[in-house]
Amino acid sequence: MENEKTFANPASNADIASLPKELFKEMPDRKDIHDQAFETKPVSFLRDSLNRFAKNKASIVAAAIILIIALYAIIVPFVMPTAHVDATAYPNGFSDSEFSNVLPYCSWFKGTGFWDGTKVLATSESDYKTLQCDDSNHPYFVKLESKDTITTTIANITKTNVVYNIRIDTYAVGNKEVSLSESEYDALKAHDEERKANGLPTIIKPLVDVEGYLAQYQAELESDGTLDQSMITTIITNMRNYYNQNKRVFFKITAKSSSDEYNSNVFSPVFDEEGKPLSIYKLNADGSYAEPTKEGGRYKARVDYYDYFTWKNGFEPRFVFGTNGVGQDIFLRLASGTRFSLLLGIGISLINFVIGLIWGAVSGYYGGYVDLTMERITDIISNIPSIIILTICSIQFNNNPSLKGAIGEGGVIVLAFLVAFVYSGWIGVAGTTRMQFYRFKGQEYVLASRTLGAKDSRLIFRHILPNAIGTLVTSSVLMIPSVIFSESTLSFLGIINFSTSNLSSIGTLLSEGQAAGLQNNPHVLLFPCIIISLLMICFNLFGNGLRDAFNTSLKGAED
Amino acid sequence: MRQAKQTLLYILQRLVLMVFTFIVIFFICFIMVRLLPISVDTGMKDPDVFYKQMVAQGRMKLDESGNYVSVPIFEQLGRFITGLFTPGNEYPWGVSYYIQWLSSPQDILWSKMLPTVLINVYSMILSIPLGIALGIFMALKKNKWEDHVLNIVVMLFISVPSFVFAFVLQNLFAYQWKCLPAMLPTVNYNNGGWFAPEMFKAMIMPVLAMSFGSIAGFARYTRAELTEVLTSDFMLLARTKGLTKTQATIRHAFRNSLVPIFPMILGTIISVLSGSLIIENIFGVPGVGALYLESINKKDYDVFQYVSMFYIAIGLIGTLIVDVSYGLVDPRIRMGSKK
Repeated sequence: MENEKTFANPASNADIASLPKELFKEMPDRKDIHDQAFETKPVSFLRDSLNRFAKNKASIVAAAIILIIALYAIIVPFVMPTAHVDATAYPNGFSDSEFSNVLPYCSWFKGTGFWDGTKVLATSESDYKTLQCDDSNHPYFVKLESKDTITTTIANITKTNVVYNIRIDTYAVGNKEVSLSESEYDALKAHDEERKANGLPTIIKPLVDVEGYLAQYQAELESDGTLDQSMITTIITNMRNYYNQNKRVFFKITAKSSSDEYNSNVFSPVFDEEGKPLSIYKLNADGSYAEPTKEGGRYKARVDYYDYFTWKNGFEPRFVFGTNGVGQDIFLRLASGTRFSLLLGIGISLINFVIGLIWGAVSGYYGGYVDLTMERITDIISNIPSIIILTICSIQFNNNPSLKGAIGEGGVIVLAFLVAFVYSGWIGVAGTTRMQFYRFKGQEYVLASRTLGAKDSRLIFRHILPNAIGTLVTSSVLMIPSVIFSESTLSFLGIINFSTSNLSSIGTLLSEGQAAGLQNNPHVLLFPCIIISLLMICFNLFGNGLRDAFNTSLKGAED
Repeated sequence: MRQAKQTLLYILQRLVLMVFTFIVIFFICFIMVRLLPISVDTGMKDPDVFYKQMVAQGRMKLDESGNYVSVPIFEQLGRFITGLFTPGNEYPWGVSYYIQWLSSPQDILWSKMLPTVLINVYSMILSIPLGIALGIFMALKKNKWEDHVLNIVVMLFISVPSFVFAFVLQNLFAYQWKCLPAMLPTVNYNNGGWFAPEMFKAMIMPVLAMSFGSIAGFARYTRAELTEVLTSDFMLLARTKGLTKTQATIRHAFRNSLVPIFPMILGTIISVLSGSLIIENIFGVPGVGALYLESINKKDYDVFQYVSMFYIAIGLIGTLIVDVSYGLVDPRIRMGSKK
């Protein structure tokens, strides 16, 4: 160090003489001077890349989100209670049509009106009153949001309509008649006793005697004498349909409107003096509620369906992402769909990576006529759109009964998809590899290795290929989102259709969402859209991060 | 002169190669399509006419026992090629059996062309100037907050699939605010046809959904090109000559940076014809993409084959034009030159 100091000082010889003596040190006698060993640790290529990657915050976040989505896709199908329902009750996985198209529910948002399974419904005055009458344990009507008065004038007649915007709970499916075996019925009754002891409302509800009431009402109408017979028949038929469609209705309804006119389509509840609806429960002779009777060894009981479901399946029917049109849990289906899509993406990328590597290595290393021929082949292959291959393959495979028998219906579609995407997907990888080989095969270190007797395979895999690994890994990672995107697009369009098999992908869910109707059930489409957008964004960011990380020329660029 | 001759030769060479590739692809596709099982579905109007057509096209023949049997595939290919060059052959590409009973695929395809082209052209008119303007703005504000914010936006718009935008737009404009129709109405030729005001209004959403991605793409590309040009040596020279920054940017940087973007625009113009499958599906546009899907779903193979070959031809011509134009607009690129 002292020596450097002196040299750094542009001083003449005279100055040196005048320097103080203590600056000088005597050289030790005949001691060999060696290069000093590096005190710092050597940084390998991988380490260096990792360091650079760690500096890229966006990529780290993207990688974390991908990891979270992957974990969601892996873990949820194992831990969700909806994934482990009784296989005899639900042979094709969980689905309950009673809970079809229920809205997403998250317990954190309970009562906020957002993400709590409720929605606003515009109703007429009679519906507003009817919906408030409820004998189930979970009220359908939550609260009145607002009241609008709409005045319409048609040909000088002004009509005033009051529209009630009410908030309803989509999970309150009301009471329903279910068929129970004797042991089930006894167990449910015992469970009801327990509930009563705990101060909870019972699950088994009194039976409703619709036919009895309709007969009584028909007699009333006939004795009234203002209506002709055909009108009465229409009213009774419509009422029966009304009772069948609205399982919630347990009370008397009347066809008489508030202005004392009969209407065969609009019914309103009948209230007693206290403003409570008059029930039409099936009663015994002594006035107590009638017990369900046994028919063919099974009981037909009227139960609160929500609580009955909870009792039967052991978990509450609450769905974080809601359900689709057939009552399947979107949270679970999206997880398995994402898992399938990710697996497909990774699998196809891997296959393409291997094929492209070999093809590009051979074509680039040998060059000449080999290269020319191989290039022409890739030219032709890359110009046939994979959608055409996919269509042809899926029709061909589907018409091949022996293949279908061997790998199943879903397997046929997956195979067709695999063929279509492997068929031209590797060309990008092959092109990159080929370029790298052209760059490196003429370099001196390769020549040196060759003169030392290295075989072709050693030159290819040991000396040339590692140079290209960064670019190749990046392009393979970026292939995953493009495969997922293509798959979802194609299954959305119905070109590949998993609906006949038990498989589902993000694309299947997207097309289900479109079928459910964006207007009425936007939640079915919302979550697959979010997941696929997140995957696309994160994979792109992650891929860009990888590309920068593997780019050694960026070393020290930011420091 | 020599340069022009070389260019011409190169273009010619590429053309020949393109035709050769097209023919090979055509053979492959032809064989694969013809190997698909022929099915007479319930949607078929008249199976008898169908079989007669099959015989007339050389796909089937009557055997001794009176059954229709398939002709060997290479014989079919031979018949097809001779049919193409036979004058007076009305249906060289076969006929449609399900989409439009007994009309030729060419007619069907061209009748579907207008809506597709319209939507794509609108989207192009919107996205090219906007994208380039955005890119220029970003390049000029490089590494300032505007650039960072726009970079994130561009990244989002490039990554998020166009159908997600389509759904968001449809939900907001059509269902929540109810100001635009969710689907394209059926065309009314008495009232302006495809150029009627209500058609234009209905096309706003599909055009927007298609444009977002390409605006972002153009912006990203322009930004990259312009920043590269702005830091190059000749810009420094221009400044040292005494030009102000604005002068140097407008006179030297813009023109140079737009050179590589031009082929990209050309590529977009050509892809106008092919349409977007998913956007046409979501908004009910009766275009080429919809026709392609319909031909797959209804198994109308002659139409399917014709539309496929149309797509392939568009793709091949597109790559050729882009490649050639690269050399034409940028003299630094010598086309077809060896290393």
